[in-house]
Amino acid sequence: MPELYIQNLNTEMPGLEEPAATRERLRACFPAGAARRMTQLGMLVGSVLGPLNPGPEDVLVYASGFGESRSLEAYLDSFPTASPTLFQTSIHPSGAQQLMIGRQTPLRRFFPLSGGRQLVAQALVTALVQEGGRVLLCGGEERGTWLRECGVASEHSLAFALELAHVRSEGSLGRISLERGGGDEGLSLHDWCGLLARRQPFSGDAGAGWSLALEWF
Amino acid sequence: MAAKHPESARLLAYDCLTPFGDVAETHRALCEGRRALAPVPVLGSRGGDPVPLALMPGRGLDEAPLPHWLGGIRGLAARIPGGDWGRPGRPIVVTSSNFGVGSLYSYRHDGGDPSHLGHGAPFSSVEWLRCELGWGADITVFSHACVSAHLGLVHAARLLARGLADEVLVFSYDFLSPFVAGGFHALKILNGQMPAPYRRQETGSIALGDGAAFAVLTRDRGEHQLVAQSLFNELHHFTANKADGSGFASVLEGLREAAGGRRLWLKGHGTGTLEAGRLEAESLGRCFPGSPLVGWKGSLGHTLGSCGLVELAIATEALRRGQAPGTVGTEGPCFIDEVATAPFATGGFDAVLCSSNAFGGAHAALLLAHA
Repeated sequence: MPELYIQNLNTEMPGLEEPAATRERLRACFPAGAARRMTQLGMLVGSVLGPLNPGPEDVLVYASGFGESRSLEAYLDSFPTASPTLFQTSIHPSGAQQLMIGRQTPLRRFFPLSGGRQLVAQALVTALVQEGGRVLLCGGEERGTWLRECGVASEHSLAFALELAHVRSEGSLGRISLERGGGDEGLSLHDWCGLLARRQPFSGDAGAGWSLALEWF
Repeated sequence: MAAKHPESARLLAYDCLTPFGDVAETHRALCEGRRALAPVPVLGSRGGDPVPLALMPGRGLDEAPLPHWLGGIRGLAARIPGGDWGRPGRPIVVTSSNFGVGSLYSYRHDGGDPSHLGHGAPFSSVEWLRCELGWGADITVFSHACVSAHLGLVHAARLLARGLADEVLVFSYDFLSPFVAGGFHALKILNGQMPAPYRRQETGSIALGDGAAFAVLTRDRGEHQLVAQSLFNELHHFTANKADGSGFASVLEGLREAAGGRRLWLKGHGTGTLEAGRLEAESLGRCFPGSPLVGWKGSLGHTLGSCGLVELAIATEALRRGQAPGTVGTEGPCFIDEVATAPFATGGFDAVLCSSNAFGGAHAALLLAHA
């Protein structure tokens, strides 16, 4: 299995922060007026992915287990007069699309994943099998309300974005390698984001039968 | 002939589940010009405008605590050859745009029965299916609206090419609920009118359908081949495509070299919307002039994230049987002359190009041929 090298890294771990506070805090990351129309997940992902300047020839891998929880909650509550806007924004992968649509930047290769305790491993495998060029791996969650209480939305808001390369360079920050032989249950997206935010090494089960080594230079 | 495409793979096995039955029954029904669509209140038992939906026989739009479609999924899964799926060397790629979201709707609006929650989120829906079907844990889940299944096929080919799998099972399922019917109705593209894909008319309409399918991909076994695959994301608008049709052209550009010198027929997305239908048909007509174009959503409805795999199964069956179904539900003037409304023999063609489109200006296409 080839390795991937971390060239750039941004994380956001606002935890229990409410969407209004996120909007106020991250407003400056987006064009004037844009944040008003963005979801919390869209702002979080946009704020970490945006500085990596995704372009048309990049591969974008996006991982979110729950996706647009707040929009989903609000859309479900809009019945019997279903909201077309909330329907649109509740659909995976809106969290990553909001930045890209705002910038009017097309992408040839965009791989949005969902999943549970195998999500981190599968997102990494998806990044690893790409050929050539930059691979941008991002992801995130937004803290839900009534869906969270039902166990079908995230407890925490978070986002991460990695610029990855297949070859080590002088500026590489770290190395990710996967090998067969791990357990079925692995890192949650929250665990993964925490490792990245703290630049903490890791060696252990990534999930789905993969073993992960995360090293920092 | 062009060099082997990095996302080519052989198709060892395939099947689908539609209201008509399996792929053979579905292919036959389409060739006979039958429609699975019927008017159903958009909010199921809660009423609303009647809209054209293709539901599995005996299934209502409302989700039951144990989803009604599980039996059909079990039957489909029983036709997957081999075992040990989801274990080393035999990974699974699951794709969907709905997963179990109809269960969340029922939980919220039908009394809060917590048993709905066990398969409401994407991961819990897949985990529930995994346990029901006895699969291992090596399952990758893609969800990208109506091109979801294509992403699964692209990823499967990549896993094979990198030696990370001996065979890959791509499995997709999407079953309707008031959640999704209500959403498309709110967008005013699901109305009371039956869809007529690619027909030049005053108003357009889509229909929705239940659907599931699988494909087993290998490096070197199987009678059919995914010769090449292509993806493109406009990211211009959440729902609409760029008015110049450049997104449709861009995804086809990715297949032009692999298609060179082949006589093609085209299985388009063809939901029944006017603007996207026109842009799609015109792009296909420009890129592959003279190739007959068909779409099957006028009979099956739009099976959403699963449409790429459901329609791949039907297209493969068409190659195997030598007859392609026509564009069921469409007659009269069309956006391009090449729209085929009646079945035709596939013997005079070398390959079929299958394309799908999605919200966000997402486009996917593949080239399928005899191996």
